[in-house]
Parts: sequence; C-alpha cells; structure tokens
Amino acid sequence: MSSIQALFALCTRGVRQYAFSSLVASLAIAMSGGLFLGTWKIKEGAQNAFTLSSSGFDAVLGARGSKLQLILNAIFHLEASPGNLEWEQYEIIKNTPGVKEAYPLAVGDNFMGYRLVGTEPSLFDEHEWKKGVKYQIEKGGRLFSSNAKEALVGNFVANKLGLKVGDRFQPYHGLTFREESKHDEVYVIVGILSATGTPADKVIWVPIKGIQFMEGHASEYSTSVSAVLVKLRGAAGFALEMKYNKQGNQATFAWPIAATLAEFFDRLTWFEKVLEWIAYLVGSVACLIILSVLRNSMNERKREFAILRSLGASRYFITNVVLGQSLLISLVGALGSFLVYLIMSGVASHFIRDQTGVLLDPFSFDLTFVYVFLVIVLLGLISGIPPAWMAYRVDISKNLRPSS
Amino acid sequence: MSLLKIEQLRKSFLAPEGDSLCVVDVENFTLNEAEFCGMRGESGSGKTTFLHLIAGILSPDRGQIQINGKNVSQMTDSSRDLLRARLIGYVFQSFNLLQGFTCLENLQLTMSFADHSNQSDPYELLDRVGLGKRINYYPHQLSIGQQQRVALARALINQPKLVLADEPTGNLDPVNAAKSMELLCELCRESKTTLFLVSHDEKVIQNFDRQENWEEVSKSNCVKGEV
Repeated sequence: MSSIQALFALCTRGVRQYAFSSLVASLAIAMSGGLFLGTWKIKEGAQNAFTLSSSGFDAVLGARGSKLQLILNAIFHLEASPGNLEWEQYEIIKNTPGVKEAYPLAVGDNFMGYRLVGTEPSLFDEHEWKKGVKYQIEKGGRLFSSNAKEALVGNFVANKLGLKVGDRFQPYHGLTFREESKHDEVYVIVGILSATGTPADKVIWVPIKGIQFMEGHASEYSTSVSAVLVKLRGAAGFALEMKYNKQGNQATFAWPIAATLAEFFDRLTWFEKVLEWIAYLVGSVACLIILSVLRNSMNERKREFAILRSLGASRYFITNVVLGQSLLISLVGALGSFLVYLIMSGVASHFIRDQTGVLLDPFSFDLTFVYVFLVIVLLGLISGIPPAWMAYRVDISKNLRPSS
Repeated sequence: MSLLKIEQLRKSFLAPEGDSLCVVDVENFTLNEAEFCGMRGESGSGKTTFLHLIAGILSPDRGQIQINGKNVSQMTDSSRDLLRARLIGYVFQSFNLLQGFTCLENLQLTMSFADHSNQSDPYELLDRVGLGKRINYYPHQLSIGQQQRVALARALINQPKLVLADEPTGNLDPVNAAKSMELLCELCRESKTTLFLVSHDEKVIQNFDRQENWEEVSKSNCVKGEV
C-alpha cells in the first residue's frame, strides 16, 4: 500500500463512517452548485437562443406600439398582435431601397392552441432562416399554394398533434383554443416543415389570404397584415427607424431585434439575482455542514490519528486525511451539481421549447462548468481547514491514553 | 554496540494544582542491539512517558536520546515520524488497532509510513502469528488474544531495530499472556530486534536476560497515580 493508497483508504473510511452527514453535505453542495449553474446557464442559453432565433430577420414592422410585443408576436409567435397594418404599408416597405426581403404575416386563428400564421410562400422558397440555410419540407410534402386552403405544419406541432400530410383540419378563431369558435373552412396539410429549433416549428403556416379572407373575419382583415418581417441591406435600419418611429405615427419599426431582446432579458436580472443569492446561501450552508461533519468526526478520530502518528504518520499526512475527506465530499457535491443542473436545464429547455419553439442546448460545453467545479472543490477544501488544523495539532501522547 | 543511549533525560508535567511534577529523570540508560530488556515499575510511575520519549512521541525537557546513532531530541518533527516508522515498533497495552481496517490493512497502513524495501511480507507475518486465515477480519471480529497477535505483527512489519512494548499483556488472561510473550520474544529473536518491555507484572519480565527496575532507573519517584 503506497502513501497515496493509505491516504485514500483513510479518507474514504472517514466518509463511510459519517455516510449520512457526508451525503447531506454533498447534496447541499449539489443543490447550490446546480442552482447556480442552472440560473446562469439557462438565462445565458435562453438569451443566446432567443437572439439567434430571430429567424434571419433584422426588423419587424407592425402597428404602433411596443417593439418587444411586436417582436414576440411576429418572430416568437407569443402574445397578442398589437394591431394591424394596411397592406399598402407592406408594399411600401417591400419596395424601399435598403430592404432586401419583406414578408407579410397575418395571425388571428389557431388549431388546438397552435397558431395559424398566414404568409407568402416565398418565405419558404427564398428566405435563409440561418446563414446559408433555407427552410426544408419533409419528404412527401410540398409548399402550400398562395390561393389554396393548404397548410404547412411546423415540425413541433406535427409531432405534438400527430399531424401528417393529407390530414384535414378546421381552424378555430382567436389565438387561444376555444371549442365553440370553430371556422367552417377546411384546410389540408400538404407538408411538414423540417425541424429548425426556432419558433417556426410551433406554428401552422398557411397562405396569407387564408387568414385575410377567413369566413367570420371582419372585412378590413382582407386588406391588412399583422406585421411585416424585414431583412435589411447595409445600414438602412437607421433611416427606417427614423422614418417610422421618430417622424411617422402609423407604425412601429422594431429594429434591431437582438438589442430589443437584450433589453427584455435585462428586465429579468432581478430574478436571476434572487436565484443567485439563494445559491450562495445554500452554498454557505453546505460549507458549514462540511465543517460540522468533519469537526464532529474529529472528536472520535483523535485517537485514530494518534495511533497513526505513533506508527509513523506525519502531521501533514493526518492533515491531508481530513482535507481529503473534505475534498471527497465536495467532489461528490460538484458532480451532483452537474446532475442537478442537467435536470433543471432539461426541464427548463423542455418548457421553453414547449412555449416558444426555441431550442436550448444545455449540454454544450462552457468554461463556466470548469470554474464552478473548481470553486466548489476549493470551498470544500476551505471548509476542511479548521478540522484539518485540529488534526494537525492532535496530541499523540494524550490521545493514546498512557496506562502505566 | 548500543542501539539506544539516553543521557540526562528529564520530563515534567504541570499538575492541576500548578506544580511541576517530574515524571522521568534518567541519568543514563542504554540498550544494546538484539538485547531483551524488561523493566518493572508501578502503574502510573512514568514508564509510558519514558517509552513515548524514546519513540519521539513526546519531547523531553532536557537530555539526549540517541537511537542507532541519531539524536532523537534534536530531530525535526517529520524526521522523528520517519524514525518511528522505520526503526521503532510499538506494542500497546490496549493494542490500538485501527478498528475500521482489516488485519492485513492494519499492517499495510503501517508499511506505507515507513516506505522502505526492508519490510516483511504481511501475509507471511500474519500467518506466522497464526492469523493467516483471518487476514480480512476486522479487529472486532477477533478475540482479545488474536488482536494482540495482530498488534505484534504490526509492530514488526517494518523490521524495526527496536520494539517498545508497553504492558503488552495487561489486557490478556494468564494463558494468552504467556503465549503472547513467547511469540513476541520469538519474533524479536528471529529478526535480531532489540526488545524493551515495561510492565508492572514481575512475571512478565522474569525470563528476560536483562531486568531493570523503573524506580532505580529514574530518580524521580515524585509522581504517583496515572501519568
């Protein structure tokens, strides 16, 4: 048995001897680390994912109102539309120099709670939702015609509702599902959109005329759009922002999308702070538990340490036994943190995907993992210092109890 | 040739009343290589303290202790630890086996501190003391006599030059005590190890070539009771 093996044997024995308290300490560390990692990474991941999920657009033009509401409605298919724009507005911006692409959107109906979004088929033919990547339709399907009652179903919706090419459905009026508000029109599914991990997956795409002329809709719907998705060329955004937001009073030009979303996430900072402080608090409790476990064990292990010293173990060896025990507890806690994080982020990403269609990647490597791991181990070691100092100072003679 | 040489050794403790109590006051004491020395003394007269001083577990107030030509009193803490691991085997009255470890592990842990090539084979040694079939037993699974035999094996595993035995039969019945003493002497004789044993029981040391009386070795008979 080498010195290292002896050290390991004594450390593990210490942990085994106080298995329950050690486990509680490790669990507290795991909760704290997991909470910290989860808060940090989910927020960061969500922010990145949302920013990247602007589906390749730079701006949204919509009714006068909040930029954020406009973006959430047009890009993420969340919240209600702030109002409608005249079709003419779409024509104007489409033909504005500096605008590379413009696609009208019309909303107002759903199927089983999933939104129907009316647009031009060219969105799927021409637009790159990610640099160099256009929308793909799964094998056996095709794009809807602009004049037919046909639908292209987002991948997430198709999986959730079990929809397939050839299926027919009747839309419901409004953005939330109400059984009594069923429209008479029947739509046929002609294609399933390949998964993109963007909000496009969680809606049902139909021709814009389908929404505009849907039976039961007010007549002004036929000449209006809910929003226009815009891709710009060069620095046209400044001029358009000036034109719509500063000089005009008919429409809002939400640009740039990323900055508006960043402002939104900044509003959530307080929540992040609260979770962060909870994590610190749980972390401190974990350190105190380690300290208490080791301190209590010291009273019983003094004799064992005195025996070891009498056999030739050095003070440093004994000190390392206590620090090693603390290290083992914190290592188990640090590994547990990742487990807690994976569970937390798994639930969070499932929830975010369900609500927004945005796909988070909680499993991607990040240096934060390494830092958190090191900090946890370091804190564990620091908690072990006071009992290790006690072990260092164990009086051999006194604890061997001379008997003659 | 002398293995242990002690000169002007003195150790005092502070009594609860605040007085300084001299526990060990040894003018001269030597032990030769391969010598067997038994020392009798009353309980609480300072014999254990004397052994602790020799082993470097305690530091003397003054005086010199030389083991194998090295002055223990002037050594650093870590050098004393290493000396204890390599040159000294200790047998305690209460055995002091590590309860969470098997017989074999008790020996292996002791070996890890000395970390030198001149060590006995733990399997052979346990077999030699009659515990070859119980190497994976924990101390609490063994009888008192068997525990003592593990303690003897542990004291000899690093092939020390000096074995210090502190009332090694104090917890044993007469039959086991006799067997245990026989085994200890046999093992030390085989390995030419110096044996220094202290006991309050005259019968334990009656077969030793050299017999000493603690009251004559140490001038300080000022302390009675537990030390």
